[in-house]
Amino acid sequence: MNERSDVTHATLDPGAGRPATNAVVLNGALAGDETLAPVENVLAELLEETGAGVRDFQLRDIPLAHCQGCFECWFKTPGLCKTDGDAGREITGAMIGSDVLVLLTPVTFGGYSSEIKKAMDRSICMVSPFFRRVDGEVHHKLRYRRYPALAAVGVLHEPDEEQERIFRTLVERNALNFDSPVTAACVLPAGASSAEVRDRLAAGLEPVLGHLARRVA
Amino acid sequence: MSARRAVLLVGSSRPRGTGNSEAIGNYLVARLAEGGMYTEVLHVSRTQRPEKERLLLQAVDEAELFLLSTPLYVDALPYLVTRCAERIAAHRQAQRQTSAVRFAALVNCGFPEWEQTKTALDICRVFAGQAGFTWMGGLGYGTGEAIGGRPLEELGGQIRSLRRGLDLAAEALLAGEMVPEEAQALLARPIVPSRLYTALGSLGWLRAARRQGTLGKLGDRPLG
Repeated sequence: MNERSDVTHATLDPGAGRPATNAVVLNGALAGDETLAPVENVLAELLEETGAGVRDFQLRDIPLAHCQGCFECWFKTPGLCKTDGDAGREITGAMIGSDVLVLLTPVTFGGYSSEIKKAMDRSICMVSPFFRRVDGEVHHKLRYRRYPALAAVGVLHEPDEEQERIFRTLVERNALNFDSPVTAACVLPAGASSAEVRDRLAAGLEPVLGHLARRVA
Repeated sequence: MSARRAVLLVGSSRPRGTGNSEAIGNYLVARLAEGGMYTEVLHVSRTQRPEKERLLLQAVDEAELFLLSTPLYVDALPYLVTRCAERIAAHRQAQRQTSAVRFAALVNCGFPEWEQTKTALDICRVFAGQAGFTWMGGLGYGTGEAIGGRPLEELGGQIRSLRRGLDLAAEALLAGEMVPEEAQALLARPIVPSRLYTALGSLGWLRAARRQGTLGKLGDRPLG
């Protein structure tokens, strides 16, 4: 696991009944792409300023198998992916135990990078196989009593309104499926200055940062 | 004159012969083959090794028509498909001159509403542009689990609309035309009422759990 040295190290704490980590960041940078690193530094600062513990996962450096679409996490080992021995259970455990989940990703065809998708696909064990209706649409019933707020930060190499629209829609759809209490999405241009990144993240993620501050308090 | 080639990429991780995406894709390529196209079916789960990936990239470059048939995973394309799309786009962008390839996508989901596939279809359209493909349109399909991985030709009248919609799509693609809206309208027709579909789905999960001896554990919260 690649832990940032300047981010609070947080581990699951069974004795406390819930993890000490308040915010989990999944970094979906692909191999060789360093454009997310400066964004992640500013993001971590903003999250820490709420008083939250932050744990990040550099997904490209972590052994994580992909979802096989077998649905055994719904009927054979309910709530757990059958794949063990990789970081899947640790990541999903950190996700469900957090107050805020942040997806940091290059905007990829309007969606998430493959690294983020690998982690998100493994998260279906967090919901039930059964169904509920939300605004006339069918979704899966919830497995847990509470789910984290969802924030997504996308980095775009070229301005692209269509990709930005798709990205925001995808985040809203994910938040609907995971019943996230608060949702925010922010799209940044690659190579933006630290000051611009900070301003845009603070504004774009304001609902989630506020939620996190209230949870920490 | 070289043969007209169509390459189908199946985006499911399920074993060969068991996936709904494969069943839908196979039906479409069978219609294309009847129309005179040489067709090739590749599975995304078998493109992980570098030599297999090279074969996929070559097959796509040499195709007249590239088709993707994939399940919806968490509101978007599955990891393996996303990774494959990243590789294809990077490969094509690195070429000085790309071959003319048309691209169409079929996305199915287990929810009753085909509209839940729209975001994934949007992603496919952007991918097409970035890979230098000509976007020929996409089709979304709900109630995909009702197929059960079986060949569409063997299923009864309840999926007549699905077959007819795919027939229309094949006719259009053979003629070099966009997938018509009428095809999507046919795929949008519910095979059973939504509440019956979800009730049957729930029954299926209960049966599967009973076989595993996990009936009392389906609501477990092992992660916290």
